Amino acid sequence: MSLNTNQLLSPQEEMSRGSEAKSPLRMAVNRFLHNRMAIGSVIVLLIIVLLSLCAPLLTHWNPTTQDLMNVSQPPSAKHLLGTDNNGADLLSRDLYGGRIDLLIGFVDMIIVMGISLLLGGLAGYYGGWVDAVIMRVCDFMFNFPFILLIIVLESIINTTSVWLLVGVIGITGWPGPTRIIRSLFLSLRDAEFILATRIAGTGTWRIIVRHMLPASLGPIVVNATLQMAGLIGAEAALAVIGFGVKSTTPSWGNVLNSSMDYFTLSTEPWAWIPPALLITLTILCINFIGDGLRDAFDPTFQK
Amino acid sequence: MIAYIIRRLLGMIPMLFAITVFVFLMMHLAPGNAIEAMINPRIKDIAALKQQLEIQNGLNLPLPLQYWHWLINVLHGNFGWSFGQHEEVTQLLGPAMYNTLILAVLSEILILLIGIPVGILQARSPYGKFDYTVSTASFVLFSVPYYVFAIFLIYLFAIHWHVFPAQNSVGTGPLAGTFVDHIWHAMLPAISIALTNNTVYSRYTRGSMLDVARQDYVRTARAKGIPERVVYSKHVFRNARIPIVTQLGFDLGGLLGGAVIIEGLFSYQGMGYLTITAVSQRDYPVIMATTLIFAVCVLLGNLVADILTAVVDPRVRYN
Repeated sequence: MSLNTNQLLSPQEEMSRGSEAKSPLRMAVNRFLHNRMAIGSVIVLLIIVLLSLCAPLLTHWNPTTQDLMNVSQPPSAKHLLGTDNNGADLLSRDLYGGRIDLLIGFVDMIIVMGISLLLGGLAGYYGGWVDAVIMRVCDFMFNFPFILLIIVLESIINTTSVWLLVGVIGITGWPGPTRIIRSLFLSLRDAEFILATRIAGTGTWRIIVRHMLPASLGPIVVNATLQMAGLIGAEAALAVIGFGVKSTTPSWGNVLNSSMDYFTLSTEPWAWIPPALLITLTILCINFIGDGLRDAFDPTFQK
Repeated sequence: MIAYIIRRLLGMIPMLFAITVFVFLMMHLAPGNAIEAMINPRIKDIAALKQQLEIQNGLNLPLPLQYWHWLINVLHGNFGWSFGQHEEVTQLLGPAMYNTLILAVLSEILILLIGIPVGILQARSPYGKFDYTVSTASFVLFSVPYYVFAIFLIYLFAIHWHVFPAQNSVGTGPLAGTFVDHIWHAMLPAISIALTNNTVYSRYTRGSMLDVARQDYVRTARAKGIPERVVYSKHVFRNARIPIVTQLGFDLGGLLGGAVIIEGLFSYQGMGYLTITAVSQRDYPVIMATTLIFAVCVLLGNLVADILTAVVDPRVRYN
């Protein structure tokens, strides 16, 4: 990001000045950098990521150490956000907990987008029976209670490791974006420039990767961001009904879940408000970034 | 139209078959079974007892045969016997479906009552102060996960103000509460579902209204001297409601299948809660039943969405 923002002009000004031609991607980046909400969200999100990555530097408490003589303590100089029902320091659990949720959001976004690019791309490019088969599988996944799949797979593999959860959320999340990418590719398939590349004898994979993919990059990037926002919350959603990662591993969902009793909810707001706020803030930031990306890639988009 | 509906209903059968087979295999791949969950591991001669119970419940038969028995029983309206709750599965399904129906209808009413009027008001004066404020607010509301809403609602309404209960719901039968009681217990879960979803509806309504308001026939209506209020309510909304009605069909199907996480969070005894308890108890008959009903609800919801679209939009014809 070595762009000097002082030299950037709005698209109108650029046009009136007749400045040098810029690539569409460069123009999109410029527009994004001018979106104050989006840039603010990037900064807040970076702070949250840094807080959870640098957790050991910020707190000397171990998030898994239980101190049964000091359970449910209110905030104090020693424990800035008090302790939970097992006597673990809540601030350190909130800080370390972000690692799990951000990891699930990021890795699953990549898995989900990878699968949907492959399947949606194939379905949209080939059409015909390939499309029919992939869309039927999508329908199947839509009608299937995915939460059941997660719960059952957790008990089949019989571990509650984070990576299992990552894998399970990844293989259940793709039908939605697959449909979107399929429709993008389907509309591009008959575009004239694709016809031209085909006439020039370009191979299938080269058409998909070098021509169709860049042409639909904007919607795909926006969709990936919005997917990530949804996936970040998935761990906490499973955790509040007791099917998240093991409570020994700190995560925002776990902190939330462990304060879901009457006593904690009514008397210890410092236990459940921070994780709830962190999850919400993260999702909000990612949504704002997605919104900014959409405006950047498609300035004509009417909200 | 009727031929179309029949064709669609028949088309559901392969999908339902695939889903039930998949769930059936999945449940049998999972380690442990209902018998193990049911009996005390310290009983003497546990192996013999297990074998006896497995034979009794037909769990020793080959899988295809077990599935066949299940299928035949379901076609006779018999979903089997719940290992976990020691009751006929159909007995469990009744109250659960009733509670989920109440929750789904209540939350859908809340969504429509708030979402659509807000969307219409926004579309009446687009890009104005009200529109901008509401758009930003719904963007923020949309980003708050529903379980976070749920926790805040429990804190405010149940713990602080003692207005609505945060836990449980009443069943049916001799111990059932009144209808008002049911609604009372469904209030908080319904509000948590509605708070996130009505922003989706207001956004749809606004976008759809703005699209339609640009069309020529609306200008004609204005030119005829029809009051603005009537232009919007009679002319614009009639066409703008088409995508909303379609979305409604989809949503209703999903909600009737059971809102698993919200029901789990509020211990609301509906289909979702029944599924969660059944999964943790390896209660195959109940899981098979709830999965089947969930899939039927979603598929029927899609069908209803298509039918409703044809009802509100005479241009759409199925044959």
